[in-house]
Amino acid sequence: MPEPPADVAETPPLTPELVFREYAPRIYHLARRLLGNDADAEDVTQDVLLQVVRKLHTFRGESALPTWLHRVTVNAALAHREKRANRQKHENATGDDATLEGNSEPPGGVKLPRSSPAAIALQGEQRELIDRAIKRLPEPFRDIYVLADVEGLPNPDIADMLGMSVPAVKSRLHRARQRMRDALAPHFEEATP
Amino acid sequence: MTLTCEELVDLLVDYLGGELPDEQVDAIKSHVCGCGSCGVYIETYQLTITVTRALPKCEAPLPPSCEARLRAALGL
Repeated sequence: MPEPPADVAETPPLTPELVFREYAPRIYHLARRLLGNDADAEDVTQDVLLQVVRKLHTFRGESALPTWLHRVTVNAALAHREKRANRQKHENATGDDATLEGNSEPPGGVKLPRSSPAAIALQGEQRELIDRAIKRLPEPFRDIYVLADVEGLPNPDIADMLGMSVPAVKSRLHRARQRMRDALAPHFEEATP
Repeated sequence: MTLTCEELVDLLVDYLGGELPDEQVDAIKSHVCGCGSCGVYIETYQLTITVTRALPKCEAPLPPSCEARLRAALGL
C-alpha cells in the first residue's frame, strides 16, 4: 500500500469527521463505478476510510489527500474484486454476474445532449444511461474508462496506478471508448443544421 | 500523408489528447473532409467523452444505511 505524502501547506488539521464528510461519498461512488454494485462499494469505502483515519496523523493538510485517496481506493477496489472472484470460484459460481445492475437493459428513449462540456447538466435518466453503459464494460476496460474519462486522471497516472505501460492504457482506453460510443451513439440528439 | 479509416480510428486517443504531430493532425483533417462516416464517428466518439466527463463524481450523499455503518466502523 502506498504511503500518504506529507503536505507542507499550512491548512487546518484533518479530523476523521472532516475526512468522512468531504471524501466518503467520492470514495463510495468511485468504488461503485469500478465494482458495479453497492455492497462491494460499501466494503471498499470502509476499508479505505479506516486506512485514512489510521494514517491521518501523517497528513499536515488536505491538498495531497485526494490523489492518495484515488490510489488507495483503486487498489482496494481491485483487491476486493480479486477476493470476490476467488470466492465465487470456490462457491462454483455459474459466472452469471447477476448482481451487476449494468446487465439489465438500458432505459429506452433517453436522449443525450450535444453541448460543450461546460454547458452540460445531465438529468437523472441521462446519468443512469451513461452509468449503465459503464457497468456493461468488461472490468479491465471499465477500470481505465472510469479513471480516465469519469475521474479525469492523466494516462501516465493511470498506468502507474494499474502497473501498466502508457501505450497499454491508451490502447485499452480506446477500446473502452469505442464500446461506450457504440452504446451511447444512438442516444445523441440530432445535430442541428 | 494519407490515412485509411482504420488507421484514423487507431489515432483517436492521441488525436483528442493533443499528442499527435502536425503532419498526422493534418492527415486526419484531410481524411475527414472526404469521409463523412469518419466525421460522424469522431464526433460521436468525442461526444461520448464529453457526456462522461459531465457525470458528477459524487452525485449523491451516501445511502443512509451505508453512512450509519461507516460511521459506526470509524467510531464517529
